[in-house]
Amino acid sequence: MVSRAKIKELMNESACSHSKDKKPGEGCDKPKPGLAAGGCAFDGAQISLFPYADAVHLVHGPQTCLGASWETRETKTSYTGRDHTQMGFTTGITTNDVIFGGDKRLASSIDYVMENYKPEAIFVYSTCVTALVGDDMDMTCKLGSEKYGVPIVPVHAAGFIGSKNLGSRLAGEAVLEHLIGTKEPEFTTPYDINLIGDYNVTGDMWQYLPLFEKIGIRVLSSMSGDGRVGDIRTAHRAKLNVIVCAKSLITLTRKMQEQYAIPWISVSFYGKRDTSFAIREIVTALGCPELTARAEAVIAEAEAELETALIPYRQMFAGKKAVLNTGGNKAWSIASGLQDLGIEVVATSVAKSTQDDIDKAREYLGENGVLMTKPASEQGKIIDSTGAHILLAGGRSLYTAIKKKISFIDVNQEKKTSYGGYGGLLNLAEDLKYAFKNPVFANVGKPAPWEV
Amino acid sequence: MEFSLTHKEHKPLQVNPIKHSQPMGATLAFLGVKDCMPLMHGAQGCASYTKVFFTRHFNEPIAVRNTSVSDITAVLDGGDYSILMAIENIQSKEKNIKPSMIGLHTTGLTETKGDDVRGVGMHIEIPYVFVNTPDYEGGMESGWALTVTAMIEQLTFSATEVKPNKLVLLPHLSMQPIEVEKIKALCEDFGFETYALPDLSTSLDGYWEEAQGKLSNGGITVEEIRSLATCATVISIGQSMKKSALALQKKNPSIEHLHFDHLMGLDSNDNFVDQLMKIRHTQPKPLIKRWRARLQDAMLDSHFLIGSSHFVITGEPDMLVGMCALIRSVGGTIEAAVSTTFSDVLHTIEAENVFVGDLEDAQRFFDKADMVISNFHAERILHSYHDTALVIRGFPNYEELGNQLKNDQLYEGSTYFLFEIANHLRKVKHEH
Repeated sequence: MVSRAKIKELMNESACSHSKDKKPGEGCDKPKPGLAAGGCAFDGAQISLFPYADAVHLVHGPQTCLGASWETRETKTSYTGRDHTQMGFTTGITTNDVIFGGDKRLASSIDYVMENYKPEAIFVYSTCVTALVGDDMDMTCKLGSEKYGVPIVPVHAAGFIGSKNLGSRLAGEAVLEHLIGTKEPEFTTPYDINLIGDYNVTGDMWQYLPLFEKIGIRVLSSMSGDGRVGDIRTAHRAKLNVIVCAKSLITLTRKMQEQYAIPWISVSFYGKRDTSFAIREIVTALGCPELTARAEAVIAEAEAELETALIPYRQMFAGKKAVLNTGGNKAWSIASGLQDLGIEVVATSVAKSTQDDIDKAREYLGENGVLMTKPASEQGKIIDSTGAHILLAGGRSLYTAIKKKISFIDVNQEKKTSYGGYGGLLNLAEDLKYAFKNPVFANVGKPAPWEV
Repeated sequence: MEFSLTHKEHKPLQVNPIKHSQPMGATLAFLGVKDCMPLMHGAQGCASYTKVFFTRHFNEPIAVRNTSVSDITAVLDGGDYSILMAIENIQSKEKNIKPSMIGLHTTGLTETKGDDVRGVGMHIEIPYVFVNTPDYEGGMESGWALTVTAMIEQLTFSATEVKPNKLVLLPHLSMQPIEVEKIKALCEDFGFETYALPDLSTSLDGYWEEAQGKLSNGGITVEEIRSLATCATVISIGQSMKKSALALQKKNPSIEHLHFDHLMGLDSNDNFVDQLMKIRHTQPKPLIKRWRARLQDAMLDSHFLIGSSHFVITGEPDMLVGMCALIRSVGGTIEAAVSTTFSDVLHTIEAENVFVGDLEDAQRFFDKADMVISNFHAERILHSYHDTALVIRGFPNYEELGNQLKNDQLYEGSTYFLFEIANHLRKVKHEH
């Protein structure tokens, strides 16, 4: 079971930069009835673990939890076995289980999965109903684990415990408690790192992993993009934890530092500057001059290659101005990418950003950039006053673009291509090229014959 | 493994499920009421998943709120606190938001703790409809039907008189917005003043307008729901909707109830049109007759391809029944009809195998199938079956566009559906 003490600890993560601004014991915001949007703790836990393709993810709960969530994320894997990330497994409990408990059903489901799918591990997720009726998931998983000799990991992140972010933290706890340190790697190198928090959505990781290989950085394990359960079990032997754009897993890396003396750094791979910066941070942390020299050579080569590839786009985008309205780290990471392409970002939204994100947005946009706190009402005026050519925002803002007859990109749409690393910048450039060329935004808003 | 049509489960879990939950059906039903604020009573994830699910299926913003029950309120609160706080918080944050109605629907969590969602209504000034939709019972289709029944029971005024040409349509869950519109239009052609409950044809039909509301955009109004019992005729389409029709009849025993299990294929539509003709003592409009002749032609044109083909079809019971009937009427062999949940109407399906199951079960029959008709989840699985075509129907369809405008109903929709499947079959059967 998950205890209140553990939740409190996770909600007051000392390593979080914004914790210092809060009163003692205040912790992260709790969801407010009526106003809470976004996923629950279960959602967060699932997102953090689901990319393990060699494990089966079994959701112990009623129909909504898995029925509406499976096969919704483009988390790519290179696993050559059966890809469980695009499959759904749920006990789909019924009234009977609510009354008499769902332990039996869970045990039989574990048997079924082991007999029919033989995964390397099973993650069993508790949900609101099975947590409330008090199923003894820990015991069922333990017995299953002993019976089949593979890790069967209980993940206690029922939705009602809190937000998606807390769920990711709880997933980290489950991995730390049940997997990390349970197996030794076949060999180690002085340049072994764990990648934490990149889920390889649309293959983001594959944009930068080839560079690691060239430099000689070895990814010992990943949590959890293109990850394997067998590898994360050896994560305690890494020299460095690298968090990629995921504050929620800071607790995991802090605890790994305490237990295994593995230092951690937090980086991002969006845009050219961030990617180069991230690589430098990693090699600096690994502290080997030879590695640093190789990294500089690889960065120089990759940047030069990118610069050449970007020349036609830079010409195309010269003088273009953009307004960006999106949340969280996208507020500066996409801004950074746009700037790398030679587009001036005149405004970005910080309505939902943390102080870190706001500082970073200010740094990237400079003094004259507008940090919008009420983007819905501000963006139209800013487009007028700056003569911006494109709006990058969620679908709700489409009308603003059409009214102003400027181009539009829906940044929240499910992407099919990656914007990560150096190569991702070219994908972003392609999308922008087509957005600028597309006459639809001017065409679609024409008045109807009966309105003229 | 042997599959048979029973209430009993044949395995302890679902692998690659096709079933969706009751509260999701409830959300969708409330979205067919103008300016309604669907409020899901549960932890925040249920509503978040539901929002994403329908947003991706319809490519439209989906207005659904939730009461974000926490581990503490799950134990201490009887429902009043979270529900009233949710409404208060929404109204204090968004002052210009004026819901016509609050559509409260429960989830597994709040049903397990046993909240009194009826009592809360006494403290709410806005019209309030509640429905108990635990997600450990039934499925999306029953959640939709329960919601329609709840709206009738709690909103509709009793009546004794009827307006002779007033008609109420009760469409089942799987009907897409355009399908509701086409059926309404046909009834209106017969001179009926027609209302659909719920009415997605004017709310999630994918039209473009300036403002994107924070409430349901279109649909039947609360006032119209209140006065539904003055209709002379109520038509339920899909067996799941029968009870809702009976609920309306209770409000006014003079209402005549007509029921159709589905409106796909020649037989069922002949029956439908025949009934409407009898009430109105009139001939159908020329275009309806024309579409019947086109369907006859489509049946003959497509019978060779479809008649020599084998099908696996998955979906909600009411959708499944219609599709199987249409395909059987032109000679197609249905290897397996896999339903999300149990329903008596499944007994009427003519297929080699009819059972309640998931895509893992359905997949056992893919080797024999020239075509699979299923939701989008079958697509990835079918990548390894090169001689099997796919037509996507049912919820969800995350990948294709224009789902809200796919019409399989009436003479017209059946015609297009036959051509669509025949054309897809041609690709796998003749292009080698």
